[in-house]
Amino acid sequence: MRTKIIVASIVAAAFVFLAVHPVPAHFGAVIPSDDIVTQDDDKTLNVQVKFIHPMEMHYMEMARPKQFGVFHGGKKTDLLGTLAAAKGKSPDQDQKFTFWSTDYQIRRPGDYTFYVEPTPYWEPAEDLFIVHYTKVCVNAFGMEEGWDQHVGLETEIIPFTRPYGLWTGNLFTGQVLLKGKPVPFAEVEIEYLNETPGNINIVLPPADPYVTQVVKADVNGVFSYAMPKAGWWGFSALNEAEWTLSHDGQKKGVEIGAVYWVRTRDMK
Amino acid sequence: MKHVNCLLAVLFVVLSASGSAMAHKVNLFAYAEKGTVFTESYFPDGRAVEKGTVRVYDSKDLLLLEGKTDTEGLFNFDIPKIDALTIVIDAGMGHKNRFVLKKAEVEAGQ
Repeated sequence: MRTKIIVASIVAAAFVFLAVHPVPAHFGAVIPSDDIVTQDDDKTLNVQVKFIHPMEMHYMEMARPKQFGVFHGGKKTDLLGTLAAAKGKSPDQDQKFTFWSTDYQIRRPGDYTFYVEPTPYWEPAEDLFIVHYTKVCVNAFGMEEGWDQHVGLETEIIPFTRPYGLWTGNLFTGQVLLKGKPVPFAEVEIEYLNETPGNINIVLPPADPYVTQVVKADVNGVFSYAMPKAGWWGFSALNEAEWTLSHDGQKKGVEIGAVYWVRTRDMK
Repeated sequence: MKHVNCLLAVLFVVLSASGSAMAHKVNLFAYAEKGTVFTESYFPDGRAVEKGTVRVYDSKDLLLLEGKTDTEGLFNFDIPKIDALTIVIDAGMGHKNRFVLKKAEVEAGQ
């Protein structure tokens, strides 16, 4: 009887704790130094690959990705070997965590979609592995071709809105695909990257639901969200993989996310 | 008055005929490799600018050469001078744009 009470208390305490501190949303992130390259710009992009809580600016340790490349002119180029490890942290984290960085030279016009498939991340708090297939698109020299093409990842967001040259307040519409097929009523989490370069006004969410915005897709897997502030925005559609991975000899579920990043700027 | 109307009608026909290109900015991209300057001219949706006039100027604005783009919007030429090259695409109807190939880029592409 006593044990039951103790167990019940622990469960209740855990419930209260979780209710007060919801597990923050994890986001794969691929953030380039620029989303539009013109002839006057530096033609070398710095691209950073991270695993973070974008609103809270928290970093998580990220192993070298399984796959990293760029899709341009209908062709994929493997860039995994160019990634170099770097360290970062939020102001309130007391240790630094690994992220990945590369410099990429833009040589031709067109859209460049950078994509990453990370190494599965074990999340003890959720008792599962997390794999976020993440993409971002950079336009070069005014040729707006390629942004709406499929890269062919296990799960991915296909932008229905051209994903660059977006104003603050614009609606971003995308379609969630899993194995190339739309995911009806997919849940999509959205966060603002507080660490956006040049963001002098760090957003302090007045309550937890403001940290991660949530929208649901329609029957065709199509969702929309209007972005209220200038900077980088991450869209993450989560699904459970049909496959499992082993952790300490036990089979564990895998959360696979399709993540897409876009940048908005103020009209002025 | 009749002439003015006639002129407007002609203008209308001309503008209509030029169709969607009116809404599109024309672009030129260039790079130098192995002694040749490669240029490609295109509309934002990727369509090639056909038979557009390409003019190449040096840093003193002196016209060095000119030519026409092919059906793929391409026009290539030997490096005419080690200098910053301003390459202008003129697709007619006021559709013009320029690309500056820096001297260092021309040098590197010899």
